[in-house]
Amino acid sequence: MNRREFMQCATLIVTGASASQLGFALSEEQSQYLASAPNYIHTAVSYFNAEQRAIVTAIADVIIPRDETPGAVDAGVPRYIELMVSDWFSDDERAIFDAGLKDLQTRVPLELGRPFVELEKDQQEQILEKLESAAGDSSWYEFGNVLRAFISDAPFICQIKELTVWGFFTSEVGATQVLRHDPMPMEFDGDYPLSPDDSTWSGGLTA
Amino acid sequence: MREAIQYDFDAVVVGSGITGGWAAKELTEKGLKVLVLERGRDLQHGKGYRGEHAPDWKVPYHGKKPREFYEEEYPMANRVYAFSEATRQYWLNEKQNPYVVDKQDPFMWIRGNTVGGRSLLWGRQVYRWSEMDFRANERDGHGIPWPVGYDDIAPWYSHVEKFIGVNGKAEGLPQLPDGEFQKPMPWMALERTIQRRLQKKAPDITLTNARVAVLTEDLPGRSACHYCGPCHRGCSTGSYFSSQASTLPAARATGNMTLKSNTLVERLQYDAETGRIASIHVVDTETRERQSFSARMFFLCASTVASTQILMQSTSEQFPQGLANRSGALGHYLMDHTLGMSGMGLFYDDMDSYYYGNRPTGLYVPRFRNLEGEDENLDFLRGYNYQTATLRMDWQTSFNTKGFGADLKNSLRKPGPWLFALAGFTECLPRESNRMYLSKKLDRFGLPQVAFDMRWSDNEVKLRQDAAQQATRILRAAGAVFTMGEENISPETMSLPGEGIHEMGTARMGNDPAQAVLNKWNQAHDVPNLFVTDGSFMTSASCVNPSLTYMAFTARACDYAATQLAAGQL
Repeated sequence: MNRREFMQCATLIVTGASASQLGFALSEEQSQYLASAPNYIHTAVSYFNAEQRAIVTAIADVIIPRDETPGAVDAGVPRYIELMVSDWFSDDERAIFDAGLKDLQTRVPLELGRPFVELEKDQQEQILEKLESAAGDSSWYEFGNVLRAFISDAPFICQIKELTVWGFFTSEVGATQVLRHDPMPMEFDGDYPLSPDDSTWSGGLTA
Repeated sequence: MREAIQYDFDAVVVGSGITGGWAAKELTEKGLKVLVLERGRDLQHGKGYRGEHAPDWKVPYHGKKPREFYEEEYPMANRVYAFSEATRQYWLNEKQNPYVVDKQDPFMWIRGNTVGGRSLLWGRQVYRWSEMDFRANERDGHGIPWPVGYDDIAPWYSHVEKFIGVNGKAEGLPQLPDGEFQKPMPWMALERTIQRRLQKKAPDITLTNARVAVLTEDLPGRSACHYCGPCHRGCSTGSYFSSQASTLPAARATGNMTLKSNTLVERLQYDAETGRIASIHVVDTETRERQSFSARMFFLCASTVASTQILMQSTSEQFPQGLANRSGALGHYLMDHTLGMSGMGLFYDDMDSYYYGNRPTGLYVPRFRNLEGEDENLDFLRGYNYQTATLRMDWQTSFNTKGFGADLKNSLRKPGPWLFALAGFTECLPRESNRMYLSKKLDRFGLPQVAFDMRWSDNEVKLRQDAAQQATRILRAAGAVFTMGEENISPETMSLPGEGIHEMGTARMGNDPAQAVLNKWNQAHDVPNLFVTDGSFMTSASCVNPSLTYMAFTARACDYAATQLAAGQL
């Protein structure tokens, strides 16, 4: 985190910005009562082909699987990733993502004899772990390097992990069924009991 | 005889933000017919708050900032914490309404775009000035002496606080006078732990409630806070003070207010015969239709830079250097607070305690340096305070963790250790060379674009350095297991001038007409029916958030102006 980012981080923290306050582009018509707008993941998009979509879905499922609670796929995260790659990434970021997907599409069948999506879950995880250890030097992994728009040269594995985690915990399913959601608390209690298994509140850093 | 003239209005108020709303309320309640002019678009309280209570999953990109679009249309505003698609409607589009940005030394000028102005977006922190603040210029010789002292303003602070609703805790500190407080918001367990340790290990530090214009008790027409979190999206229950929720409805209720939105002021017309302003000339920002209105007096509450811009545009034979500018001070002595995180600490205390609800503020550490009679050997003047923030680390601060699967999911969904941050807000000295002026470039209405010339001085740098050093001392005394402080502090790394959004000065007040634009009643020395009551009048900056002081001076100036008007003196 450089000096300016550090300061911005402080401003965000001190002033209590939430995930949903960091910005997004919306037309005047769309922004007529955001609370009653359709969920973002219901926005139309068709960027990936069927094979690519299946790989992205499998990766999201490895990063945040369903266990006792819903996982990334239940929460519509693959759709979120497709929208972000299509509509939000810069050309350079999209090129990194496309190349990363292409690599999995071509390399995995050659090395393992089967396409990525047909591998066992633990084999898929091993592939992602290898990608992660190869990307280990990226500034993406630096402690505290989280309050910024995006790291434009982040490797594919970092891109897809950021989109998966972000998309999941800000999704309706992730925020309400995995985190705890209470949009209208009506009071503030500064000493509220926390059990070891309790989740955080949804809705960002302090709001 | 002026009495015989038919005026369109008794008073014109330019701006509907935090001071314009107050001027409208006070003057209409005294029975005056008031025209309020707002350059931004109309917005209805409640109904207009389109982003209020929208959950994260409703918003495009789930809150990730659309970078190119924002850089293109809102290059400065998008850097503010409160800027997002849920609030974008409140901010002025910078591409359509440019000002001159110096590439080397940029000034961050943040402007509102609706009725209510930046009172919808402000940080809601409200602190009284102390006698020490009012005497600072006199004491160290920077700037000119204030023509008023704490006792002159204290009753007006009370007047304002009772109406806007301020929650806070009385501390009896001379450097931060107590006000009229509603019950304070509760603390987190870690904050109590930190306070206990500081009392032992850093007894010179007071950790207290922030004083915040958010209700903890109902006021007429406004409800106590429901702790949803992001105030700046707008609050339909009026739980935080904005002119939309509070002063404008009060003014409207008198039946004496006319409010015109989409109305940009071009100039004030000076009448050499009467020595007064006769009328105000405006342009409709939608239709480009031009109009003028006459009135017995004029209140500029358009915000610090904008009000001075109007005066600079209002030249005449008598005032070739800008209206009411015989002193030559107009545009000069521009100030702002520097801000940023001075230090942050990690804590593993009170791990079994959490919070319920989103408290819309942190705590506060009042100024503790350079108090009168103390710290005589410091190599800087004036002081600073800290606003604090307390939070648990969570997925948002650690989504870049290594690993996959159920373990990752499980660790990210749970609260981590605590972070406690100290954000220093430092005072800025009044310096003649820090200024705004009109450039040769014109905007789409044919009006000059404002330009800035402002740099931090050594004193501001030293204040920030001290704030960082002291923050580390405080965090260690508080028991942080790991601390991170602001480092390598220089003007290049500090917040930009203007970034504090506490820009003030440029039409300063003082007793000497040769040095000051305004007298002690916010009345122009050179033009008796002209009042400027937004941050322009500030003669020094203190280190505390300024809005409460603007409001108090506005109410006081309205009282004076109405009395003078009734006495036939204006």
